[in-house]
Amino acid sequence: MSKPSPGLSWPWSGQLPSAPEPWPLALAVALVGLLALAPLAALGLVASQGQALAGLQLGDQGLAPLANTLTLVLGVGCAGGLIGTCNGWLTARCQFPGRRWLRLAQLLPLATPSYLLAGTLIDLGSRSGYRIGGLGWAIAVLGLGTYSYVVLLSSEAFSRTGARQQEVCRSLAVGPWGSFLRVALPLALPAVAAGMALGAMEVVNDFGAVQLLGVPTLSAAILERWQGEGDLPGAVALALVTLVLVALLLWSERQGRRRSRLWAAGQEGASPELWPLQGWRCWLAQLVTLAPPLASLGIPLVWAWTSWNQLPAQPAGDLVALGLRSLALALGATGLTLVAALVLSIGKRLVKANGVQLLADGAGLGYAIPGTVLALGFLLLGGGWGLAPLLLLVWGYVDRFLAVAKGGLDTALEGLAPSVDEAAQSLGCDWVGLVRRIQLPLLRGPLLVAGLLVFVDTVKELPLTFALRPFDFDTLAVRVYQYASDERLGAALVPALVIQVLGLLAASALMPSLDQELPDRTDQPKAAQSTVS
Amino acid sequence: MGHAEETSIGVYSGRHYNSDQKLYKQFSAKTGIQVKLLEAKDDSLIERLRQEGKNTPADVLVLVDAARLERAASLDLLQPARSAALLRTVPLSLRDSKGRWVGLTRRVRVVLVNPALVKAAPIRTYGDLANPALKGKLCLRDRKSVYNQSLVASQILIRGDAQASRWVKGMTSNVTQPYFSSDIPLIRALGSGQCGVGLVNTYYLARLLNGESGPADRALARKLQVVFPKPAHVNISGAGITRYAKNPQAALKLIEFLASPVGGKGYAEANHEYPLKGYGDDAILKGMGRFQADGLSAEQLGSRNRDAVKLMEANGWL
Repeated sequence: MSKPSPGLSWPWSGQLPSAPEPWPLALAVALVGLLALAPLAALGLVASQGQALAGLQLGDQGLAPLANTLTLVLGVGCAGGLIGTCNGWLTARCQFPGRRWLRLAQLLPLATPSYLLAGTLIDLGSRSGYRIGGLGWAIAVLGLGTYSYVVLLSSEAFSRTGARQQEVCRSLAVGPWGSFLRVALPLALPAVAAGMALGAMEVVNDFGAVQLLGVPTLSAAILERWQGEGDLPGAVALALVTLVLVALLLWSERQGRRRSRLWAAGQEGASPELWPLQGWRCWLAQLVTLAPPLASLGIPLVWAWTSWNQLPAQPAGDLVALGLRSLALALGATGLTLVAALVLSIGKRLVKANGVQLLADGAGLGYAIPGTVLALGFLLLGGGWGLAPLLLLVWGYVDRFLAVAKGGLDTALEGLAPSVDEAAQSLGCDWVGLVRRIQLPLLRGPLLVAGLLVFVDTVKELPLTFALRPFDFDTLAVRVYQYASDERLGAALVPALVIQVLGLLAASALMPSLDQELPDRTDQPKAAQSTVS
Repeated sequence: MGHAEETSIGVYSGRHYNSDQKLYKQFSAKTGIQVKLLEAKDDSLIERLRQEGKNTPADVLVLVDAARLERAASLDLLQPARSAALLRTVPLSLRDSKGRWVGLTRRVRVVLVNPALVKAAPIRTYGDLANPALKGKLCLRDRKSVYNQSLVASQILIRGDAQASRWVKGMTSNVTQPYFSSDIPLIRALGSGQCGVGLVNTYYLARLLNGESGPADRALARKLQVVFPKPAHVNISGAGITRYAKNPQAALKLIEFLASPVGGKGYAEANHEYPLKGYGDDAILKGMGRFQADGLSAEQLGSRNRDAVKLMEANGWL
């Protein structure tokens, strides 16, 4: 905290090359990490009461659930990565009419529960005599539900990184495509990968949509083991094995990228200049960015249009109460999740001890477990200690969405050259100063995006809320599911639309400050530089 | 606080029909006992109750499906209730022999036929669905449906393992279309002629016949013919007092109210279900005709649920 005097007085003279480990930070990481891993440990305990892992089978369908899950992960990853990167680039770096609105709208698909989308699609299909189901549809529905992660993370990265490089591209007459493929994309690749990883984890934990669409996946096999066959330890063991597979996948992806790391030396000194799009390019950009939000909003609306008579009158007071509960829970959970994720991400960067690195990486894994199984872990913790259900629920949210918040923060820090930290330390900045004066300002954009994603995810979260909430404490998502699972779609639709509205409100509150983030601060340097080129 | 505790009870319910709440309000008005409600998935509720142990705030557990009630009882989550009223109102086959739970409503899994494609007359029992003549015409919901699981459990009890296996195998080889994940799309597929015959719960059909999903669905449902197999498989929703209920007397009062003709009627009519005895006042249900129940107790069904799932899995029921 203490500023060094302008002279040559180091706080730790002689230790410059390696600053001491910031142990309060290490302690905080340990605390957050252990809290995050506690439910997984409780699950491990349950699994150990069952048969040996060697006895694990996936049932008579053999490897089909595994193959289906992998196909889904691959399909959703490719589709989400492609559309997400494309829309992230278009909304962050190109100029066309309606861009700001369309940027906000990219969040809509994330705010639409995928089981509801699947349910409405199946229902619409079955009225017109068409069967909707199978892997293809599952990829489409889940891809739509998860591509927003890639859009938001990549568009943030596109606006943050490489603005100057792009000006160089322009001066060298490299066109928009060249600048996208050769400069912007490689720089934003970690963010794209983080978004795809979140999508993949969500695919692994999804149960509702794939079940409705008739695709037997690992999560379905896990739940059948528990609820159909009554083999709880076996189910939990299978969930933990899945978790290890996901962890390996994520780890190998990170290793693969390690060789091609690109660093930026701090904040770019230029505002991102937008590529103006004209003519058919403009139309195409509008079409591509409009299609996914239109689908996720349009399918339920088409359903409502064709079934106007089935929309039951819902007491407004009830909806307001549901909405307020959802809002309060989501705000609380988002704040806590951001703090926890910051501690982990910054701790990972500043504390080199192996244990801390491992904790920081492992803490987000809860996201890859089916929510129903994770809820069980929390019931084990809470039941024994008599914890208040609400406390348990918020803890659950933070645990589940830690990965979502951490994804953006980690990639942003990953893109910051280590030399920046070293420079700061050599100038006598202790770790608190480094965090406060360099890292936090740089993480503003990623924090906004993380907050938005966690908020929307919490509002629509179902399995934990369903299993852990206290008496008389329904939320919007709970109500949607209760009706939808009872095949009363009309009644499910109204609370689902309120979820979308909450998502849009959050997006319109946070996204504009993402847009203004750079120009505000860097108008002058940019003017100076443009004279250079 | 102590005062409030005396006059309120906690209910964990696996039923989620908003209309149930009206009934709880009615109960509160009548007795002065407040009902705190938590609706969630049956299996999660069982697990929650198990983990909460003595700390549980729940006094009453309401579950859908016989097997789940039986599971809750076998995990020692419910306590026996002594009640002359319950003995009177709940038939023997619809309650636990040790008094730990009682049934509250009944639903029947029936054969639904599109008469334009399949003749209903030759179908008399569930066994007839294995007839190779129905190949390509039979449509089924997947095996995750507890209603299908309980149906198979009933056939294991009636026919024995070997014959039940042959039956399931015969049926699954008649199925050429992907399995459905819910009942209503299956009923629509029957109505539109994609399928000729299927298995559904009575209340889903009743909802469509009642026009709850629009006139098109009503018209389509009217084309279909209900066949009550002889004997018919009856499943229940039911309730019991939790092992560590803070207020077991008040809990018993609620269960007695729900099982009484007045309360039971409300619970059943909310979702087009049959009351514990007779056919109720629901005109649509009455229009479907009468059935002869197989008389198997929910307790027996529950005890064979796990075997049923394994048998379905082994014989190709996806």
